[in-house]
Formats: sequence, C-alpha cells, structure tokens
Amino acid sequence: MKFKRFILWSLLLSLGTFVSVSPAQQPAATTPASIEAVQVIGLACVKQNTKGNLKVESGSLTFASSKNTCQVPAASIQDVVTAADSQRVIGGTVGTISRLAPYGGGTALSLLRSKVDIITIQYRDPNGGLHGAIFTMPVGEAESIKEALLAQGAHTRIPSQAKLTSDSPLQPEAMEQTN
Amino acid sequence: MKTIKRATILWIFMAGLSAIPLLGEQPTSPAKPPASAIEVEMIQPGEISLPAEFQVALYENLVQELQKNGGFSQVYRDGDRNAAGASGLVILHTTVTNFKQGSELKRDVTTVGGATSITLHCKFTDKDGKAVLERDITGKVRLIGDNLKATDDFAKKAATVAQETLASGSTSADSSKSGYKNVI
Repeated sequence: MKFKRFILWSLLLSLGTFVSVSPAQQPAATTPASIEAVQVIGLACVKQNTKGNLKVESGSLTFASSKNTCQVPAASIQDVVTAADSQRVIGGTVGTISRLAPYGGGTALSLLRSKVDIITIQYRDPNGGLHGAIFTMPVGEAESIKEALLAQGAHTRIPSQAKLTSDSPLQPEAMEQTN
Repeated sequence: MKTIKRATILWIFMAGLSAIPLLGEQPTSPAKPPASAIEVEMIQPGEISLPAEFQVALYENLVQELQKNGGFSQVYRDGDRNAAGASGLVILHTTVTNFKQGSELKRDVTTVGGATSITLHCKFTDKDGKAVLERDITGKVRLIGDNLKATDDFAKKAATVAQETLASGSTSADSSKSGYKNVI
C-alpha cells in the first residue's frame, strides 16, 4: 500500500516538473543558436575582420571572439539590413601571394569563391553617437539574426523577408501565378 | 647725363634684386582659425543606390581615419550630444555623387577590369552651417582587395585633406599631399 502511494507521489512530482519545465524550453527553441560570423568593421572592442560567434539573446546582439565579447542592445539598433555577396575561399596574405603562382595558379585559386550573407546594423551609443557595424556569415543565417533582432526591439527601414511574405496581400495571387 | 643713366640702371637693378624674394612667396589666404574638433555626419547616399554595407563602411572608416590621422583633438560621431559644447567644431557632411561597384573576381582574373570607385562630395561647415571647405574625393580599389577597400581609400584621402587644411595640428595650408583643390 505504502509502495503504491510512493509511486503515485513520484509520478505526480515528475509530472509537475515536466509541466514547469516545458514552457521554459519554448523560448529557447525560438532563439537562434550562435552562428559563426566575421566582424568586418564597426565594433570598438574587436579589431576589423575578427572571427567569432554572433547571437541574439537577452535583448542584445552579442559578438564573442576568442579575445573579447561585445554587446549591442537591440533597442539601440535603428537599422538592420541584410545582403548577399561572395568572397575568396583563400583570402588574406596567402590569397594575395597566391597571385604570383606560376601558370595562372593564383587566378585559378581566385575562382574558388564562397557565398556569404552580410548583415549591416546602425545603432546609437549612450551619448547618441551613431555607429555602424558589418558582419559576414554563412548563407541563410542573416535573415534569422535580423528577425531575432526585430523581435527584441531593433528597428529597420526594410522589413524582414518573413514579415513581407506574411503581410503581403498579393502572396496567394503570386503563388497561383507560379503554379 | 651719363651719371643719371648709370644711376637709373643701378636703381632698376637694385629694385629687381629686391623683388626676387617676393616672387617665391605664394599669395597668402586670410588665415582661418584652426579647428580642434570635428563631427562626422552619416554618409548620405543622395540619388545613388548605395548598398548599406558601403554606407556604413564609409562612415566607420572615415571616423577611424580622422581619429588616427585627422589632427583633431576630438572626433564626434553623428548625433553625439557632447559635440554641442565643443569649441572650434567643424561638421563634415558627405554625399555620394558617383558609385561604381566593380568585381573582385574580375580584378583577380583580368587585373585590368572590375575596379570599384566611389566619389563623395565633402562639405565642412562650422556650427552655424557656413561652408568652410568643399571637396570631391574619390576612393578606389583597382587591383588587390575586396570592394569595401574603396571606402578605406576614400577615408584616408578625406582625413589627409582635413588634416592639411582644417585641423589645429596641420603643418601647412596647401594640399600638397592630397593633391585636391579647394572647391570654395
């Protein structure tokens, strides 16, 4: 009899724990994980062209390199713009020196290019001074960062792609035309 | 009669000699009070379709170059409230007048084509909005580097112009280094 009660209590307790944990896990699932990015220019705490991890959490855009971590409050961001570009797979000094390779080897190397996403932000510091920052990241990541920033209070002059498609009244017609 | 002739020739000769040092001197422009602080306004794309990353790279490179080589004791960003109380402040307004986005790949492969160039009209004004200096400055990347390197080239040239003509730490009034001529 006592054993039955013990099992019942333990079941109830485990159910309670599950119920309390479940809502806490939901926001974690919507927040994008940190992604590898390169800070091209703009953040004062890291040098230009620094590699690191970019994520949006607790109302801030966080860039963490091996040496330093910079945070920009999402509410201070007055513009977020995404774009696409391509870059040399072998860049930097090695990429430059490779141009001297014989038989057009350097030219062949320069043809190896990878596509990247670019995210550009403009934000104000506590004194009202305007700053800009540019990040490059793997293709398809910029839009998720932009949406996360907008959800946490950042502004933009160009709405995100997801919002455009959800708001557009022409979407069903456009879909019909493509079909 | 001979004495008068000789005296006249001697006088002309002496007058000519005394004029030689004057010939070397440039006409001096009225001295402007040197600026000790500068506020950099955000780059205005004007009627040019300028990608956001170029706009931000131009602005950030310009601020950094003015801090490093501009010769100003203070460099303020657009909207900085501290600029309001700064003495000897000049404000830099920049508008893009020409932009040609080249291709790094083309530059790598052909070595002659694919150059990126960007021209900006730079207007330095005082606090009251009176123009102090106006220049058109072009940034280019012709051979090595990505397209954004043109923004770095522009910023270096603009900082040199500001340092030579406006900053309190400037050494000369002419623009011998930058080679740009004043618009006003």
